Amino acid sequence: MKTHLKAVPAPRHGRKQSILEISGLRKVFEVNGSFHTVLEDINLRAEGGELICILGRSGCGKSTLLKILAGFIPSSSGALHVKGKPVIHPGSDRCVVFQEDALFPWLTVRENIAFGLKGKGMGKKAFKKEVDRYLSLVGLSEFENYVPGDISGGMKQRVALARVLILKPEVLLMDEPFVSLDAQTREEMQNLLLSIWSVLAHTIIFVTHDVNEAVTLADRILIMGNDPGRIKEEIRIGLPRPRKRETREFLELSRRLHEYLRD
Amino acid sequence: MKKESWAMQDASTQKRGFNAFLPYIIPAAFLIIWMLVSESGLIPNYLLPHPLEIGKTGYAYIFGKQGEAPYAGRFLSDAGASLVRVGMGFAAAVVLGLPLGIVSGRLSRVQKFFSTTINALRAVPGITWLPLAMVWFGIGIKTTVFLVGLAAFFPIYLNAAAGATQVNPLLLQAGAMMGVRRIRGTFAILLPGAMPHIMTGLRLGLGVSWAYLVLGELTGVPNGLGAVIMDARMLGRIDIIVVGIIIIAVIGRFSDQLLQASMRFCFKSARRIC
Repeated sequence: MKTHLKAVPAPRHGRKQSILEISGLRKVFEVNGSFHTVLEDINLRAEGGELICILGRSGCGKSTLLKILAGFIPSSSGALHVKGKPVIHPGSDRCVVFQEDALFPWLTVRENIAFGLKGKGMGKKAFKKEVDRYLSLVGLSEFENYVPGDISGGMKQRVALARVLILKPEVLLMDEPFVSLDAQTREEMQNLLLSIWSVLAHTIIFVTHDVNEAVTLADRILIMGNDPGRIKEEIRIGLPRPRKRETREFLELSRRLHEYLRD
Repeated sequence: MKKESWAMQDASTQKRGFNAFLPYIIPAAFLIIWMLVSESGLIPNYLLPHPLEIGKTGYAYIFGKQGEAPYAGRFLSDAGASLVRVGMGFAAAVVLGLPLGIVSGRLSRVQKFFSTTINALRAVPGITWLPLAMVWFGIGIKTTVFLVGLAAFFPIYLNAAAGATQVNPLLLQAGAMMGVRRIRGTFAILLPGAMPHIMTGLRLGLGVSWAYLVLGELTGVPNGLGAVIMDARMLGRIDIIVVGIIIIAVIGRFSDQLLQASMRFCFKSARRIC
């Protein structure tokens, strides 16, 4: 039987430039005087344009890892570089799409998308054109004057996606962004993400606990284990896109990933 | 279907008509009861004059020629003097209280530095400052402005601090990851995020300003709405006292609406999330 599932050693002769490099990363939290290791020996190399899913159960530290990548919290030890530069602070080279609604509720859809672009010294016309482009990219041109309070959860995440894509980040960090959406909308958003990714070719680190989501999206899946959180398994998904959820290969992959998660 | 939509529109316009009427029910009921009580003689005229009499006195106070009657035509100068005092005191409270509150809300050291002092001072009733203020500033505008500013400071400070503390940390993180630095973050994220609280603080502060205005003007300044009320008490002019109370209520309500409208005009956040 031909399998699309194979464990990959860290690529040694990557043709593409590596964008994100993590080595020996470790995170320890102090809780009431005792120390709790949340992340242990995390190693990861992401190539330009790669879509990597970090799959793990709740509490395995995958969101913590993403926060460290974003620069929101420091790691305890280990090295973390984006395009060769060490990560210290949050910055627009690593943009996050949050799980929760993190749009500015006092700004319209258009203003939210334009927010990060302001003060970058763009001409008025070019600025408007650029915002228009990303509005239509996520299919929200008609809703540009709505405020976040008046649009649906799926639309909010579209805005959240557009407002960071417009900044052309090196790495897009997505922290279970579609988890609070209904199944249909989630699938729509996954397709939207894939179609945008096929055009813009960002490097994406996508954190999720949903096996199907990981198999639908990823070039590579990193499975995280609990306590302490570490990367248990690394799997390259060779299925051609668009991936159909009903195919035997897809189902087989999902089943095996479920098993990995259970162990 | 057309019929149905018509019906719905009807219902909604009716509802809107009713809603427009809603705020005036209590004042109207109050007026009717007052009239009944006065007509029936349940409360004698020297304690609470008849509404019509109040109307006449009020008319003379506002529109009458000066010198026609003891209080005729004084309204504009009194209201002007009071407005200036409230305006200055309130402005001082905003200028001090708002930045201090925002900074306290974000930096726990600043909060620790100020909170004991401010909360202790807050516990002191405003009226106890009056004798001291009179000694310091004498009788006149300074005392009033001092009292108004002092009273308005606390709600503005406390609410700004609460607002700054409670701003959704995700919004600040989102700003940081989009490359927003401290100054823009303060004005583009922190302040709008804290706007509902800031607004509450400003409204409470302005309301309290009017209360302390009267207190400040009780000290014997020659003009102002509070001064007129005090003066009228000495002369036994209950009608003028009531007129003064009503005018302060109306101006107070009006200034609150003006405050909200101007905040909404100036700030998206006040317009969209308050």
